[in-house]
Amino acid sequence: MPDLLTVTGATRRFGGVYALRDVDLDVRAGETHAVIGPNGAGKSTLFKLIGGQLIATAGTIGYDGRRIDRLAPHRRARRGIAIAFQDSPVFHNLSVTENVMVGAHAVTRAGPVAAILRLPRHRRDEVTIRALAADALARTGLTEWADRPAAALPLGQQRALQVARALCGGPRLLLLDEPASGLRGPERTALATLIEQLRADGLSILLVEHDVAFVARLADRVTVLDLGRVIAHGTFAEIREDPAVITAYLGGPR
Amino acid sequence: MKWAYLGVPVVAAVPLLLTPGQLTTFVLLGLSAMTVVGLSLLMGYAGQVSLGQASFTAIGAYTSGLLALHHTPPLLALAAAPIAAGLAAVVVGVPILRLRGHQLAFATLALQLILLSVLGDADWAGGAVGLQGLPYLSIGGFELDDDMDYAYVVLVGVLLVSLIAYHLVHSRVGRGLRALATGEAAAEASGVPVGAYRLLVFAVSAAFAGLAGGIYSFFLGYLAPGSFPVLLSIEYVVMAVVGGLGSVGGALLGAALVTVVVQLLTTLATQPGMPSYAPSVLSYAVYALLLIAVVLFVPRGIVPSLRKSP
Ligand SMILES: Nc1ncnc2c1ncn2[C@@H]1O[C@H](COP(=O)(O)OP(=O)(O)OP(=O)(O)O)[C@@H](O)[C@H]1O
Ligand SMILES: [Mg+2]
Repeated sequence: MPDLLTVTGATRRFGGVYALRDVDLDVRAGETHAVIGPNGAGKSTLFKLIGGQLIATAGTIGYDGRRIDRLAPHRRARRGIAIAFQDSPVFHNLSVTENVMVGAHAVTRAGPVAAILRLPRHRRDEVTIRALAADALARTGLTEWADRPAAALPLGQQRALQVARALCGGPRLLLLDEPASGLRGPERTALATLIEQLRADGLSILLVEHDVAFVARLADRVTVLDLGRVIAHGTFAEIREDPAVITAYLGGPR
Repeated sequence: MKWAYLGVPVVAAVPLLLTPGQLTTFVLLGLSAMTVVGLSLLMGYAGQVSLGQASFTAIGAYTSGLLALHHTPPLLALAAAPIAAGLAAVVVGVPILRLRGHQLAFATLALQLILLSVLGDADWAGGAVGLQGLPYLSIGGFELDDDMDYAYVVLVGVLLVSLIAYHLVHSRVGRGLRALATGEAAAEASGVPVGAYRLLVFAVSAAFAGLAGGIYSFFLGYLAPGSFPVLLSIEYVVMAVVGGLGSVGGALLGAALVTVVVQLLTTLATQPGMPSYAPSVLSYAVYALLLIAVVLFVPRGIVPSLRKSP
């Protein structure tokens, strides 16, 4: 299958510290690709380079046959890249449904004039957005919370809400940064099932996760980062045997 | 919003009950309210404070005034006011809104100081004396020449800006704005063009102030730089904060409350025996006390505190 995302030589420095150094990564269309690594390995930094929240010190990012590394984040969203951040809170001044509706921004266009004059374009988009949001809420099991203020959600549901918002824009590439952190057993299983369904629907998924069982179940391929470098990549079975991976996780001489 | 329509006929009856002096206050209150609706949007959604919002009122007023003096039909001259103010905001906003924190507050304050000194020196704007002998507003040959007429012009203006603000907030764009107020990165990652939306709100808020300024120029018939002091900009901020940011109802209530309180105290301060500086000292004191009271007791402003959280 062709690559949807190609990261080449990605480097990001913060002052004198390299958060990422010469990282190559590709995501094939339709695959679920996991990025794992110890704390501080550079996983979130990599995601933010792809999403556009950070600009690379060096390297290129290709998506769907074109370079995107100079595009503003909202333009990347319009191209079909959605990201659920590790540490971003929900929009706490909006209801659960409204939080998700924000995600549909990427696939709708009605602007301020349409809104102020209540033009047909505004009404059509509102109908579309509501339908997309209802669907995303249903898929993430949040329907019963729909009208609640987002701030009132328990942590598990807040994580699910991030995923729902990202899904609402109908992305082609979904980036999930530790979506299962803070989730309990049944919620974790539900999330894994959702990711499998999304994969079956043809979505490409890039996933950061610490839970080994979660990664083993979901990932077609795994890239392992440590101290900003790729130390291994391949199927889960392959990387599990890799001495560099074992050393990185268990400590020892580097 | 639905209940708000019930308020319209009630408020529309108010001018009929007022004394001439109160009618003037009513018009000025309405003009403040128009500006504050916009400022409240800016502060509530773009997360930026403008300490120079009265400069857009001035730009609107001078645009209308100059055009009307140069024989432009008054209604056209009025329509140009919000456009000129909105454009000015775009020009100023492009560099400023990239910046973070309190830069906009300082930049808008600086803008106002510069504008006031330019207007004070410019011959084409009448210098410190300003513009005199502006014509009345006329609509379809009907000349609006008394305060009662302007009370209704202002009511229409308040209704118009409130409706625009409400429609804007309750839309795709409005959701984007509300989202970026609390989570900029997540909003942008969802496709919200954060910079463009900030600029939009700034321009809309300036246009509201400009429209108010346009009406003001026809209402008074003369303009001077002294009509738009920095204190006026501060007053708008206090009104917005007291009523509650990002709420149309709050903006209207804040404007009304502050105007009435200041008016009462001015009456008190101009009693015989009061020193000549009493009115200005008292209005500063009122602003300070109102701000402190709001921050202590209703930090989100009056109207949002009355509602249940979202
Ligand atoms: N904005 C920043 N400024 C300075 N250093 C940063 C910044 N963001 C990340 N870093 C550093 O870059 C390195 C990689 O951080 P990153 O958040 O990408 O790691 P991570 O793999 O996501 O870790 P975790 O598993 O804890 O989420 C760390 O050393 C971190 O301290
Ligand atoms: Mg991380």
